Amino acid sequence: MSSLDPTGPDVPIARLRARPERRLWRSLEELARGTAPAGPEFPPGASAPPEPSRRDFLQLLGASAALAGLAGCVREPPEKILPYTRRPEDVAPGNPLHYATAYALDGIATGLLVTSYEGRPTKIEGNPDHPSSRGAAGVFEQALLLSLYDPARARAIRYRGAGRSWRAFLEYAAEAVDLHRKDGGAGLCFLGEPDASPLMADLHERVLRALPAARFFSYAPLAEDAAYEGARLAFGRPLQTRVDFSRARVVVSLDADFLGGGPDRLRAAREFASRRVPESELSRLYVVESALSLTGAMADHRVRMRSSEVVQFALGLALELSPQLQGGPHTQLTATRPLHVMARDLLANQGRSVVVAGARQPPLVHALAHAINAALGNADRTVAYAAPTLPDMAAGPAALAPLVADMRSGRVETLVITAPNPAYTAPADLDFGSALGKVPHAIYHGLYEDETAAQCAWFVPATHSLESWGDARAWDGTVSIVQPLIAPLFAGVTHAELWAAFVGEGDRGAHALVQDYWRRQPGRPDFDAFWEEALHDGVVRGSATRTESVTPRWADIAAAAAAAAAKPTSGGGIELNFLPDSKVYDGRFANNAWLQELPDPITKITWDNALLLSPTTAGRLGVESADLVEVTLRGRSLAAPVFVLPGHADDVASIALGYGRTGLNEELAQGVGANAYLVRPSDAPWFAPGASVRKIGRRARFAITQDHFTMEGRPLALVATPRELRQHPERIEEQRAALPTLYDPVPYPSYRWAMSIDLSRCIGCSACVVACQAENNIPVVGKERVARGREMHWLRIDRYFSGPSALDPEVVFQPVACQHCENAPCEYVCPVNATAHSDEGLNEMVYNRCVGTRYCSNNCPYKVRRFNFFDYVGQRTQPERMLQNPEVSIRSRGVMEKCTYCVQRIERARIDARVAGRTIREGEIQTACQQTCPTRAIVFGSLHDERAEVARLHADERRYDLLHELGTRPRTAYLVRLRNPNPELS
Amino acid sequence: MSALFPPWTNTVSRFSLVCLALGGVVGAVLLVLWVESPYFTGQHGPIEQPVQFDHRHHVADDGIDCRYCHSTVETAASAGFPALSVCMNCHGQIWNKSPMLEQVRAAYFSDRAIPWNRVHRLPDFVYFNHSIHVAKGVGCVSCHGRVDQMAQVTQVAPLTMGWCLGCHRAPEPNLRPREEITHLGWRPPTDSGALGHALVAQYDVHTRVSCSTCHR
Amino acid sequence: MATAPAPHDPLEPLPLVVGAPDDHTINESLFQYVWKPTGRGWWTVFLISVAGVCWFLTAVVVTISKGIGTWGNNIPVAWAYGIINLVWWIGIGHAGTLISAILLLFQQKWRTSINRFAEAMTLFAVLCAAMYPALHLGRPWFAFWLFPYPSPTRMWPQFKSPLTWDVFAISTYFTVSLLFWYLGLIPDLAALRDASKKKLQRVAYGVMALGWRGSGRHWHDYRLAYLLLAGLSTPLVLSVHSIISWDFATSILPGWHTTIFPPYFVAGAVFSGFAMVLSLIIPARKFMKFEHVVTQKHIDNMCKVMLATGLVVAYGYLMEHFMAWYGGNQYEAFVFRNRRGGPYAPVFWTMIFCNVVVPQIFWTRRARYNLVIVWIASVLINLGMWTERFVIIVTSLHRDFMPSKWEMYYPTWVDWSLYGGTISFFLMCFLLFLRFLPAVAASEIKELRAEMVHDQGAH
Repeated sequence: MSSLDPTGPDVPIARLRARPERRLWRSLEELARGTAPAGPEFPPGASAPPEPSRRDFLQLLGASAALAGLAGCVREPPEKILPYTRRPEDVAPGNPLHYATAYALDGIATGLLVTSYEGRPTKIEGNPDHPSSRGAAGVFEQALLLSLYDPARARAIRYRGAGRSWRAFLEYAAEAVDLHRKDGGAGLCFLGEPDASPLMADLHERVLRALPAARFFSYAPLAEDAAYEGARLAFGRPLQTRVDFSRARVVVSLDADFLGGGPDRLRAAREFASRRVPESELSRLYVVESALSLTGAMADHRVRMRSSEVVQFALGLALELSPQLQGGPHTQLTATRPLHVMARDLLANQGRSVVVAGARQPPLVHALAHAINAALGNADRTVAYAAPTLPDMAAGPAALAPLVADMRSGRVETLVITAPNPAYTAPADLDFGSALGKVPHAIYHGLYEDETAAQCAWFVPATHSLESWGDARAWDGTVSIVQPLIAPLFAGVTHAELWAAFVGEGDRGAHALVQDYWRRQPGRPDFDAFWEEALHDGVVRGSATRTESVTPRWADIAAAAAAAAAKPTSGGGIELNFLPDSKVYDGRFANNAWLQELPDPITKITWDNALLLSPTTAGRLGVESADLVEVTLRGRSLAAPVFVLPGHADDVASIALGYGRTGLNEELAQGVGANAYLVRPSDAPWFAPGASVRKIGRRARFAITQDHFTMEGRPLALVATPRELRQHPERIEEQRAALPTLYDPVPYPSYRWAMSIDLSRCIGCSACVVACQAENNIPVVGKERVARGREMHWLRIDRYFSGPSALDPEVVFQPVACQHCENAPCEYVCPVNATAHSDEGLNEMVYNRCVGTRYCSNNCPYKVRRFNFFDYVGQRTQPERMLQNPEVSIRSRGVMEKCTYCVQRIERARIDARVAGRTIREGEIQTACQQTCPTRAIVFGSLHDERAEVARLHADERRYDLLHELGTRPRTAYLVRLRNPNPELS
Repeated sequence: MSALFPPWTNTVSRFSLVCLALGGVVGAVLLVLWVESPYFTGQHGPIEQPVQFDHRHHVADDGIDCRYCHSTVETAASAGFPALSVCMNCHGQIWNKSPMLEQVRAAYFSDRAIPWNRVHRLPDFVYFNHSIHVAKGVGCVSCHGRVDQMAQVTQVAPLTMGWCLGCHRAPEPNLRPREEITHLGWRPPTDSGALGHALVAQYDVHTRVSCSTCHR
Repeated sequence: MATAPAPHDPLEPLPLVVGAPDDHTINESLFQYVWKPTGRGWWTVFLISVAGVCWFLTAVVVTISKGIGTWGNNIPVAWAYGIINLVWWIGIGHAGTLISAILLLFQQKWRTSINRFAEAMTLFAVLCAAMYPALHLGRPWFAFWLFPYPSPTRMWPQFKSPLTWDVFAISTYFTVSLLFWYLGLIPDLAALRDASKKKLQRVAYGVMALGWRGSGRHWHDYRLAYLLLAGLSTPLVLSVHSIISWDFATSILPGWHTTIFPPYFVAGAVFSGFAMVLSLIIPARKFMKFEHVVTQKHIDNMCKVMLATGLVVAYGYLMEHFMAWYGGNQYEAFVFRNRRGGPYAPVFWTMIFCNVVVPQIFWTRRARYNLVIVWIASVLINLGMWTERFVIIVTSLHRDFMPSKWEMYYPTWVDWSLYGGTISFFLMCFLLFLRFLPAVAASEIKELRAEMVHDQGAH
């Protein structure tokens, strides 16, 4: 443990932070003193009271596996109890506390609510009060927890590899500032990621006040420059587009994956899903895209085309819909039938429709989308405009070019890099790495000593978001105060402190910096009350930015359109598409095992990325899935395995960014997948024509969790249109009608726990899978074992392709976890009663009784049981052990495990309720998957109360049972996925 | 030719056959008995503690309520192990020079935890919750015995699953009025059976034996 | 040996004992191997098998120390080689019990010269089988939880589970087989004791003979006990493999959930059992020179038994596939389509060839009389019966109800080592048995011959 400890027995930074904010820091004072027996790294574990420390999994392993086995001959040594010296108030041992904070991805924040046991964050959930979260969290937010405890994180400040103290760095920074004063800081550059934090903006200004010539650059490989440029083109100034999908009856997506990505994806998903159920007027979604995205998977009609053709399609649509543009030049794209139908459908729904353009598309497409929305009168109804939340809109690869040029020419003397790993994420043609070599004083601030750190003189470890004080803003501008859940594990420094070092305030601590900033803000008579409220709620009320109504500049749009129409559609060859990854994003999460092992929602590939091709194109190139190919674009080439994906556009190859990491410390990320940045051009960062694909002849091995894509005509994930539902009620009736039985029904006098999963709402985003993994201490097993079919996820999301053609499949997602059958086939075959039925209808799995015959799994028709083929928890490293949820047993090798309906939450709620002398209230228990679901697809509750939502959904007309004919009587009900195709097209 | 075996070998062989037959059975029975014996369950005697803390003195003589030190027993799963500050509340004033308390003071002022030895240990896969038991009228003494008479705390109950189930199947004998929870010497007035039944109704006691009640 | 014996009147039954040897010559010929110093041949085979056993032990250590993950199993294929081998070995055991029990009750004289042999085989086969249930557990150290005993947790095994029945079925089966085999040995052990020259041998055999003196009372009690045990183990012949088959039949898995399993498993068991007896006894009788007691007649009968049981097994296959089609259940139908044409189809067709096609040659007297053919056929049948268990277990599991959770199964080196290891163990036990104990029940042969002489006298 001491080897993990950079700073010796006492942790100065922790002490630094321990002072100001008593309410939060009490449980960490032990840490600040740093003298707890277990070493400063694990103060919560060490100073924890008996109950949770008993939960430490090492002992459990001992008790449940080895010692219990030898109980006859071995007596366990007496267990130690290490009580607090002073127990913090409101820390009751074993009772969790919840703190509100926020996490900003590419500068846009999502509000979080973090569960903490004795100062140990163990679970992240969305903050219900936060406008974009509303209680939901995505895969990235959920997985944040694991990266907090990532042993690969950087542990020390270094100068040319040698350890340095923060003090030493501050002196260095001071000197640097003095040196740069002479020319006003012309040689001083800051490279950060786009950041909406008011505090950072303030520091930005203060640096400029001291060094007016200093320059600030923003870089994010997935930045949405085009959207702002599009707005500038359409309205004369960059604006932020806010779409309200809950009001849209018809949605047309021009290569916009608003469900899978984008800064406000959680809100978008929730609003969109609210229109996919019969309770509301069913919306219709048209998607025009090249690679099959989550949004495309939800589409009622999906048009495959090369990304470069989307502009022509948009042009065609605009010409049909906005009279202001008509009479202009005609598109070369012979308007297709779907285009006309779409146009008609949009026209029929003026003011109730919306056209959204994807960030991957050029500004013109965005401008045309704005034009169409204006023409249809959607503006201020389904779509609104506001001043951008992000201060610096130009942050894409193009924006990096001037900086790199200056670095080359030696005009940059000091470069402060806070953007995550630009040396890796910068497009290859910029060759950022070599340019960095030309900067005499490069300072890199990051979570890991990664590719960029290797080329910078100074390295300063960054604090994890859960270790940091700061502030952030949501997409709609709402401000959240970012408060830490735990003192920095590895002597990290916040972003704010680093910049403050250049205005001589680096030693004040982030807490002081952020508090000072907000204290300076006008209109806060009682600052302490404001501060308490902001911290408690996780949002600053009324801080959202106003939307404004704007009118398009038709002439400019028309001119740009004419220019584009004149330009021939992109050249021949294969078009190479670059996609944001659904798991590692731009590569920053590459060392997060939860995300690496999460199956990609569409391809179901884990621990890899792949070059996606359509069946036709693959056939033409004579390659099949898992063939290694060499992709060449503009003389740069890359070796990647092929994955043939139905629904992918022809003559297009798509590859996700963020893989093929080479950072030395991030062992997990090393050598996983292929690095698409190596062929990404800075002038065409999203798609470029003229790529060639050559078969190498070797084959790769994918670890895919779902090899078989079709339903074999079995009634598994049911899909229907409202009409079919009305006309053929028998089709669904036979999937739920009570089956005859010889046995008397089992009475369930009290609660009857049950779940319902609405396939119409599920967008397959997989947030629930990660939430389940975090809540239930589910181990990660690695690529080889996933490939062998030994993944451990209790909750899996099946993805089926259906429909007439493999080229244009219909996609349906189906989350499947233990169905908690009332007649459970797994129960009667277990020879030791390790899986039994509870008096409330739960199918219980008793790990400590299981001997591992695996018979239950054989007899489970849903195949939702998971077996510990090896000792997985024993392989966890020291810091990772801190994230265990103490409420859930850790499973030893050789036992079966499965979804428990989060029984630990049920039991906690039951005990709280019964101690208080009441019954459990509706909605008091939320399973982890339900809690995080952005679309509210999962509902949990008790059937004994007819008013409960789950009871209502179990009686819904769309309800059916999975594998109903087996008579297992599952407690999890599914609701038929509704499709709303346009009669003209079907 | 001479007899290979003398007559006594018959007895030997018969005897050994009997042993063979009985041995297995007897061995099994002994094993089953042993694993429930106080020695195996840990009831075999007091466990040494780093500091000589005498419950007799604090509970019986000083009449300090259990909840003064074990303060979270009504609100949390854990009864709560007193922080050193709790000791010092009193011993800051009284006996604040006593050599017996030297270790406590040292630990308190140097902020090092005293490593106590756990007496009542449940396996890590067992989720016992004090608050619910206390709320339903199960007295401390039912599981912990007359701690007020122990110089060093000894485990009096076997703490086996069978023992837990015994009470969960028939809780009445172990119920008492809530105000008597920490009263270790409390005796039911007359007919404990009737009182038990009354309390089951009054406190709405629903003991459960489903696995997930304790195993999660 | 390949040549058919001299033609003789087909109406004349073949002799069960060639010639009319007296007790002494029988002793001489049957016990010779116990006295003779072991030959090089025996040693080579023995050492090979011992090496195999060591390899087996390594695999066991790896399995227990690292976990079931060292096997190829996964979800959905949670059972594979472990259970395949268990069922295979248990099945092989059945021939012994059948011969010693049922044929005895039916007074089949021809059983006498092969019953000892077959019983030994049963014993060792059950030993091999019994290793797997423990080995395939995720936590073998808790295997005792499967036995009913009053534990501090007040938990009992679940008697609804076929695996709990297995525990009783297999342990009973082992005990009875052991007793039966040993009881039969006693008179011969006594004979060995009396015949042995060295003191040590005399004592050793003497102790094992439990003071047998061959008095009338001894013989009377012996017969009675033997008959009782025969009666006891007769139901076992049927029950054991029926219960094993319930592991599958009581589940809801397509391809497992079928009522035909018990008879079809029992028939398969006897089928494979006789195949194993033959593949062992044909070389044994040659090298140990007791063609005169294990005659062509025995081999002929065993071939006929195999033919009969083979036909039952074939009927079982036919019915499974017919019902899958006729029943019209899409899941059931798919499983059998998948067996015939899926990724494991080669295994399926091997099974059909070995278990259905091969035994048909026994219709011809020529094949039954050609020991080479008989031996090859019986080896093939053993292989076939193993593939049958593979087909039943793996192909049913790897593609069941949810296409989303279909996976392939590939065995690892540990799987193979455990399989090969038990075969070596079996071989080792058998060699020891041949070396130190009379492989043929001399006492019964003597009786038999006496009876035959008496019959001829009556002509």
